[in-house]
Amino acid sequence: MILLEENNLVIFETLKAKFSAAKPESVAVVAIDFDGVKYNITNPGQDKGVITLSASMRIYSDLVAHGVVELLKREYGDYLVEPEDGYDVTLRYELASLPEDKEAVAKKASLLKRNCFAAVFEKYFKMQEEESPSSEMATVHYHEEEAMYIAAQSDRVTIIFSTVFKDPDDVIIGKVFLQEFKDARKAHQQAPQVLFSYGEAPRELAGVKGVLSGDNVGFVTFVLFPRHTNPANRENTINLIHQFRTYLHYHIKCSKAYLHQRMRSKTSTFLKVLNRAKPEAMTDKDKKFGKRG
Amino acid sequence: FFSFSRLFEDLTMAATLKPYLNAVRTTLEAAMCLENFYSQRVERHLKPEVEIRSSKEVLFAPLEICRNDREKVLIEGSINSLRMSIAIKQADEIEKILCHKFMRFMMMRAENFFILRRKPLEGYDISFLITNYHTEQMYKHKLIDFIMEFMTEIDKEISEMKLCLNGRGRVCAVEYLKMFN
Repeated sequence: MILLEENNLVIFETLKAKFSAAKPESVAVVAIDFDGVKYNITNPGQDKGVITLSASMRIYSDLVAHGVVELLKREYGDYLVEPEDGYDVTLRYELASLPEDKEAVAKKASLLKRNCFAAVFEKYFKMQEEESPSSEMATVHYHEEEAMYIAAQSDRVTIIFSTVFKDPDDVIIGKVFLQEFKDARKAHQQAPQVLFSYGEAPRELAGVKGVLSGDNVGFVTFVLFPRHTNPANRENTINLIHQFRTYLHYHIKCSKAYLHQRMRSKTSTFLKVLNRAKPEAMTDKDKKFGKRG
Repeated sequence: FFSFSRLFEDLTMAATLKPYLNAVRTTLEAAMCLENFYSQRVERHLKPEVEIRSSKEVLFAPLEICRNDREKVLIEGSINSLRMSIAIKQADEIEKILCHKFMRFMMMRAENFFILRRKPLEGYDISFLITNYHTEQMYKHKLIDFIMEFMTEIDKEISEMKLCLNGRGRVCAVEYLKMFN
């Protein structure tokens, strides 16, 4: 599995099972997603015929200014209700009145995080489409110290990810990966342009408050062209771009696990060679003594 | 011009490998003549003299065999023990961290390896400590075979790991970016 799914499988599987159950069952599921998102699926007030999905997201407060509430109303219609205490978004499903295609409803619900991100992307993609760029840059703090910066010009949309590599080895492995991202455009002309830098923020972020800096901080810039942001390809682009940071770190970790596996197998090979240095006569003697004793 | 100079470097590297390994092997064969020796300083104690370095008369002259300025081997002998330290080729940052990870991995398992030292010497990447106990329990020529194989395999493994990492990076990048239409 190289690419990550854009929806949350826990939500999808849970809701799919509950929606198509013969008899309404009770449900109490707490799930976590990337980018600091926490979900809670419950029956409100012990009513098994109703299921609520609540989510609390680190990014929600940043997204309110970019029209996330309108987008959620558009996508989820009547399912969207007032958020529960301690959560940012709540969707409410009455089992009795669900449409025929229950799986599609479950799928839509599992795209909740992705749809929240979509708010800010759609806003800036539209700005580029209408060629009315605003000078303001959107900041989304999707991770502890890391943020995503989005800006629109008349012919492109620039998205800059700032990411922290907690492990110093990750910094170097990250460089290898990001160099490949940068070079991949030669083979695939349709891909967005990717640039990266370490330590210092790129010029575009001059004047933005709270930008990280340091040896273990990397900045990745995606330049999306009209072909990526036009209405036909917009959904696909949002699916891919909103989880770039997760994708990168996931694959860095996979590589480290693979290296570990290799080292373990090589070490055991070395041990086998070393054990050849032990004379075999010893084991025969042991056997003889063992039999007698 | 670039490719010619790389080719030249590869040829000279290949040319220096055999004499380098031969020099290391013959030095090890000479130095690995170890016998039991009780400590002259503390009664009834037995310590590896190459580590303690307190009695000058039981220590042999250390020998450093350099393949180039980055790759070298230091062999220090004594009457009852031998210490060999290897500085491994690390051409760039990635090779540095791969080498570091790999050596750390093995040194944490030094107990299983008998002859491996838990910490490398200053300026080197990995160290072996061979005592007369080891040469009494294991064949001397097979021990030397092991060390020689170790030296060649390490370089190969690090190159392979680096290639794998680059390959993975490429696949990740291409799979992600080709989804954009």
